[in-house]
Amino acid sequence: MALADVDVVVPTSPDEALAAFGDGKDVTVVAGGTIVLPDLTAGRLRPTRAILLARAGLDGITRDGGRVTIGATTPVSALEGGDEPLATAAHHVADPEIRGQATVGGNLCAEASADAPRGDLQAALIVLGATVRSGGKGGERSEPVEDFLANGAGRLVLDVSYDDVARQTGYAAASRPHAHHYTILAVAAAKRDGELRVAATGLGPRAVRLTSVEQGGEVSGVEARDDALASAWYRSRLLPRLVERALADLEDTG
Amino acid sequence: MKAVGARLPRYDGVAHVTGRTQYVDDVRVPNMLWAKALRSPVDHAAIKKLDVKKAAAMKGVHAVVTWEDVPRLVYGHLEALGIPGDEPLLAKDEVRYKAQPIALVAAEDEETAQLAVEAIQIDFDERPALFDVRKAADPDAPQAHHWGNWYPHFEAEMDVRQIRKGDIDRAFDQADTIVSGVYRPAAIEQLPLETQTALAVPEPSGRMTIYSCTQALYFSMGVVAAHLEWPLNKLKFVGGTVGGGFGGKVDTATETLSALAALKSGRPVKWRWTREEEFLCSSTRAPWHIEIADAVTKDGWILGRRMLTLHDSGAYSRFSPYGVTKHSFHHTGAYTIPNLHFDGYCVYTNRVPTTAMRGFGVTSVSFSTELHVSRIAEVLGIDPFELRLKNANRIGDTSPNGIAYSDPSTVSTILSIADAIGHELPADSRTMTRDPRAGELLPKHLVEQVGKVDH
Amino acid sequence: MKLTVNGVEHEVESHGLQPLLSVLREELGITSPKAGCQQGGCGACTVLVDGEPRRSCLIPAGALNGAAITTVEGIGTPEHLAPVQAAFHEHYGSQCGFCTPGFLLATHALIERSPGADRAQIDEALAGHACRCTGYVKILEAVEAAVGGAK
Repeated sequence: MALADVDVVVPTSPDEALAAFGDGKDVTVVAGGTIVLPDLTAGRLRPTRAILLARAGLDGITRDGGRVTIGATTPVSALEGGDEPLATAAHHVADPEIRGQATVGGNLCAEASADAPRGDLQAALIVLGATVRSGGKGGERSEPVEDFLANGAGRLVLDVSYDDVARQTGYAAASRPHAHHYTILAVAAAKRDGELRVAATGLGPRAVRLTSVEQGGEVSGVEARDDALASAWYRSRLLPRLVERALADLEDTG
Repeated sequence: MKAVGARLPRYDGVAHVTGRTQYVDDVRVPNMLWAKALRSPVDHAAIKKLDVKKAAAMKGVHAVVTWEDVPRLVYGHLEALGIPGDEPLLAKDEVRYKAQPIALVAAEDEETAQLAVEAIQIDFDERPALFDVRKAADPDAPQAHHWGNWYPHFEAEMDVRQIRKGDIDRAFDQADTIVSGVYRPAAIEQLPLETQTALAVPEPSGRMTIYSCTQALYFSMGVVAAHLEWPLNKLKFVGGTVGGGFGGKVDTATETLSALAALKSGRPVKWRWTREEEFLCSSTRAPWHIEIADAVTKDGWILGRRMLTLHDSGAYSRFSPYGVTKHSFHHTGAYTIPNLHFDGYCVYTNRVPTTAMRGFGVTSVSFSTELHVSRIAEVLGIDPFELRLKNANRIGDTSPNGIAYSDPSTVSTILSIADAIGHELPADSRTMTRDPRAGELLPKHLVEQVGKVDH
Repeated sequence: MKLTVNGVEHEVESHGLQPLLSVLREELGITSPKAGCQQGGCGACTVLVDGEPRRSCLIPAGALNGAAITTVEGIGTPEHLAPVQAAFHEHYGSQCGFCTPGFLLATHALIERSPGADRAQIDEALAGHACRCTGYVKILEAVEAAVGGAK
């Protein structure tokens, strides 16, 4: 379908956005646009219907009733300086112009491209024990980030939230230092009431929990990917070092 | 002398900082069409079928250009220098590298042009592809061309650029040590911020105005005129504003096809490559495979050099034979070596054709020679600066092709570097000059190589 | 859809999914933002959206109704260069010039936000901008001069 024939909806409230999204079939959702627009321009993506979330009122961070809630279209830059390890993970995304435009929801829904992993925030959200609230087929539902990453395709993210409590946190990342500062691999860690959670971004298409590390063991049970940024060989050797550093960083925040 | 030594403002600076500089993509003409190319999705194949009827009939499509529309399909970038052409402007029977252009569509907008490109029907019969220049001579190597993997038209129709100087066998007989090394400088994309772009505007007079981002305007004009079989005076080129080139805009990449699409449609046509195309198929600096063996004395003289160079030309020769020739003339780097045996080949592979980039053919020499000289210093246990100064080019020393240097700067450059990094040198090194060799710096093996400087 | 560009209000007809870059260049004929990569990787298309530097190749037109856009044409003229423009000109911060509009707007926004920006803040603000000519040294000298002048 030619672009001129694509129906574009610009909802002005969350309800309008949900109504426009419906069951999510044949809908292309544009939040910040940093991933969708290049694909559109290059002709890799040819939507039939599109929703632009820029004015849907899904942005903003609130602290209420012991929970921190981050709206889906909150820009990544709004997380910088906030709760760790989310703040550092956010700071590692691209550059300030991209961070001002890219959104938290987009980061959760991002598929890895052939060239580079995406979803830098995912590991940090996993270790914070965050919950994703989404709409779409079957109505609204809330689930842990890991479950959403596994089964969230075709859903409209509304917000993501986590408990507003003190934690020890750690973060370590290897980036490729050029204009986009792509993260090759990153490890996030958080400890709350003695319970340790550790996760990695950049190993595969989505962030994964490192359960063997959480139980005090070595890295195991995960596979690294090859892409334009780095080889699986390199990532698999980098991972244990980053785990060490993230855990040391966590102990430092004692 | 108002300019020498003065800090002058850039003549184009104010236009740059106010956004008024007009690059090719910024030129606006009425009725303009946009072009998109059908490019080979495979590295090496025979084309079994090419059918553009459906694409040409699409709404908004005004021209589909294929090899049949090109008056002179094969023209070499260096035919004026006697280097025969081997590259078709658009692929006809075969494709030899991924993203080689096969057809160009001109349409009302880029999206329509792209949809038409996708509607072109094409079938390939894939062939094995060669990517590593080092493997080009292997008995089972894929053959990039029907005449083989070697460019066959160096002087006297030889397939190799040779340099023979002095008595190489004697140098190796006299050597205390042979130091060998293999060096492989990789391909580099020039990566200008402005992608390859042209705008061709047919004029009512029958002439054609072409806005070009070329680094070599009159050269590109000649290439377009040759393919079109037009006299030069029917072409008006507007250029001079280049959004970065670094050698990558020496090749005539977009002008000729834009002109053909403009001719066929009767409308102005702009063709602007995407960044992806720029990476896929704009010509890069060549990868090289370089083997060096130097005959050296234990006190640090380089008596002779045997060198084999394989220059990866990519699928077609373009400027590569010229790059190999420049490389051969410079193959001793900034040093004087009196006995030489050099063989340089321009090798075809199924990679994108390679071209100039900042010191065409010479950077590969500098890279490998400097590494090699450091290696010699390490093997002999000699200070690398002193070794370089001893063998540095001086007035009257001759280049591999026999030119006597009148103004070599090697000595002063090396001394400046030592100074800049605080590298201590003994007095005899510190006081060295570029003056003609004499005394200890004119050992027996160098006496015969010193030439007469022609001022 | 309404868009204010350099203080002038326009009624824009481009499709809602067209990037702002093509609205500016192809519909409105404002050519200082450049199509360097059209995927957010080079910074040559950066403009100010309500004062913030943004990649115009990444923003769909439909998301911008009522926004105020500033391009390099809007911050100064050859006769009256903005301080940032004068600094880039005087310190040779522009060579082929293709990346220059993006660098200028990122710097302009930095000075508005952080008048006394230090080198680390400058590096951060320009992190998304690529230049292939200068090696960045002259650009950073120009930016430091512009920041110094604004203090």
